[in-house]
Amino acid sequence: MCRFLCLLGVLLSSLTVQAQRDTSITISSVGGLQFDQKRLIIKPNTRLKLILENKDDMEHNLVVTRPNSRLRVVEFALALGSKGPAQHHVPIMEEVLAHTVSVEPGRTDSLTVMLPEGAYPFVCTYPGHGSVMYGVIYATNEPKRLPPPKQDLNIPNPNRTAETAHEHHQPAASGHPYPLKLPAVYRTFMPDCGPAAIAVGLPSADGVQSYVFDAGQCRLRYAWSGGFVDNAEQWDGKGQRFTKVVGEIYFRDTDQFPWRVGKTSTSPQFKGYRLVNRYPEFRYVVNGVDVRELIKPLATGRGLIRTFTLSATKQPIFFLVSAQPGIRLKSSVGNLQYGEVSLPPGTRQFTLTMSTN
Amino acid sequence: MLASILLSTLLSVFPADTISDYYEIETIPTPPGLVAETGGLSFLPDGRMAACFHRGEVMLYNPKTKTWKLFAEGLHDPLGVLALSNKELLIVQRPELTRVTDTNGDGVADLYETVTDQFGMSGNYHEFAFGPVRDTKGNLYFSLNTASNGAGIRDEVRGQYDALGRQGRMYACVPYRGWVMQLTVDGKLKPYASGFRSPNGIGFDAKGRLFVTDNQGDWLGTSKLYHVEEGKFYGHPTSLVWRPGFPAIDPLTLPVPTLDSMRTVESVAFPHEIMAHSPTQLVVDNTGGKFGPFTGQLFVGEMDFAHLLRILPDEVDGQIQGACVPFFDKAGSDGVALRIGNNRLAFAPDGSLYLGQADHGWLGDRGIQRIRYKGGNPLDITAMKLTPTGFDLTFTQPLDESTARDLANYRFRSYYYEYHQAYGSPQKDVQTVNVSDVTLSADRKTVSLKLAELKPKRIYELTLGKLQANNGQKKIMNHFVCYTLNRLAK
Repeated sequence: MCRFLCLLGVLLSSLTVQAQRDTSITISSVGGLQFDQKRLIIKPNTRLKLILENKDDMEHNLVVTRPNSRLRVVEFALALGSKGPAQHHVPIMEEVLAHTVSVEPGRTDSLTVMLPEGAYPFVCTYPGHGSVMYGVIYATNEPKRLPPPKQDLNIPNPNRTAETAHEHHQPAASGHPYPLKLPAVYRTFMPDCGPAAIAVGLPSADGVQSYVFDAGQCRLRYAWSGGFVDNAEQWDGKGQRFTKVVGEIYFRDTDQFPWRVGKTSTSPQFKGYRLVNRYPEFRYVVNGVDVRELIKPLATGRGLIRTFTLSATKQPIFFLVSAQPGIRLKSSVGNLQYGEVSLPPGTRQFTLTMSTN
Repeated sequence: MLASILLSTLLSVFPADTISDYYEIETIPTPPGLVAETGGLSFLPDGRMAACFHRGEVMLYNPKTKTWKLFAEGLHDPLGVLALSNKELLIVQRPELTRVTDTNGDGVADLYETVTDQFGMSGNYHEFAFGPVRDTKGNLYFSLNTASNGAGIRDEVRGQYDALGRQGRMYACVPYRGWVMQLTVDGKLKPYASGFRSPNGIGFDAKGRLFVTDNQGDWLGTSKLYHVEEGKFYGHPTSLVWRPGFPAIDPLTLPVPTLDSMRTVESVAFPHEIMAHSPTQLVVDNTGGKFGPFTGQLFVGEMDFAHLLRILPDEVDGQIQGACVPFFDKAGSDGVALRIGNNRLAFAPDGSLYLGQADHGWLGDRGIQRIRYKGGNPLDITAMKLTPTGFDLTFTQPLDESTARDLANYRFRSYYYEYHQAYGSPQKDVQTVNVSDVTLSADRKTVSLKLAELKPKRIYELTLGKLQANNGQKKIMNHFVCYTLNRLAK
């Protein structure tokens, strides 16, 4: 009998564990463009059913995105324009993990998503809502390591300014025997990049602007603002886990290697970088042409100014850069059309400005 | 009571004579805030020491002023440094071999040049890069760790991907994992030798010959020291997929006897649990006596034991083989203890040996210590040479005749480690080997032992008894010596 009871106990407890892996959470949209809950904490790999209850007086949706991807998803949703309503204002892109349909006032809809460890934004992507109406789902086994809600950059906080966000880079927290000083360079394992990644954090009037350069492919991969990186997990132990992006990714290069030099294409060769007032100027060789690339932040606002310096060549040179929602591109020379800049013969230097304003 | 009086009397008559009477350990303070997982040490021509650390810092230490200064930062797990000048360092980090230079003379590096990155990265954590070292001609060498099936690979890899190299516990799905690479003086990168698993030690002996350590695990019954020559294969199969002309097969499908016939065996095996778990860097004692009586010998670091290893080289009919013996055993010392995790070794201009410690998610420690020779002549073994009938053991000084001639002071076991895919190997076919005769040289420094039987491809583990010198004042420092007998002497 006792044996039977014990067995039953074991069975029940294992069932409970099983049940914890299946969670259902209801979030309401309330007045003032906000969700009633802005921070959800679950165990990694939980099958999460998220129910959106619209208690507001206008339509909303709820979209779960990949980490650090809220901004880009919102920009792409905005770019849907007149096609937006037909697809519930949800852009088709890999950063979207799950979404509800458009939910009228008083109605509900739900989504189901399985999230590995990480911080996943959820957001209403209705035009104009995405910049304030959002929150975050933490899939973590270590909830104690999360920042206190008041300091959490992943949730909206009207009282928090860029200045206070900047204060998080305290000297003691750098993990080094010196304070972290921007610009700063980390060669490390970054998400969504080849394994030879270089993360760079730049100082700017609005806080921190950051980007990742792929030394294997010799190209800028993505850029973000609002913070730099969190190396805690990468530094811990054997170095398998990635460095984390802190902030919102606003630009991803979804194209191929951008340079076309001459008619044949060979793989670019990375040659390293020089620090110019701590800003790295990368050097790589494409079809015999020496390219140097120095990336600086815009004076104000979110965006980067990329200055390219080229060695002399008689070969025709093109720089490919596709238009994408939320990003304005401006080249100092040539015309930017059909997703490319054709450099006038003899061009030795040009700048490409990427801005979000 | 009586016993303790007797003991203290004995101790005062015969001082303990431990290794710390001849060598001392000093712990080098590192800067506050530094997580001192040491990846590399190298001395600059001006006497400062460059050290690189896990979180990407490269710092310069001035032994005269005992101060640290930041030189470079932001590197990806740098695991080796070689000073080229007072303002120029070669550093191997995960993605590449990099030359880091202070071009404007402000004491901080501003130029990070990629010397070579022509090898693959799958993104697996175990793909470390070790080195670089430079031969007398100016060629550089570094070694590339295989990946571990303790974790996967990235969706995006650097370099060509080969699924045939993805099998097994430690794998090489991108080039040239499990290889030692050579960068020639004219800048050409050559895959130099294959068959390595975790080659975390690379360096030269006193004759300028290249040696590499490798770590016990799959295909390595125990940890080893290899003499590395161009084109040779050293036994861990997965790297073969990157051998020019190797057929398109998974090397693990080759029969073990075939792989065994292809491989070059180690010069010296480090028996597991006795000598080493994870051997690290090797350095040659080029101090001309400033570091004691072992000039010209190799010292090897170790992660899990609080001792270093010392190599007693031998050469039989062209075959390099020899013995290893512990050096500076923590248990036999007073004063500051030697820590574990001795990942990097570098001789300072003053002849002291700096030790950079690391743990890196495994067993180990953090920080920097140094071993300084204080003087005197410890009683220790300096050579173990194979003879047609046994071994000649040479010591640092004349032995007391009574102990030296006592057969009971020489006990041998012999065994071998199996070459197979499994992780590690037990000692196989363990046999006690009788010593039938002992003779002492005229200068009483060399003991010639005659063994009942000698067989090749076995390890001869010698336990020395209470050998003494100087009328009992000097006691043998180390009792364990392990000789790797690859080839018999004629």
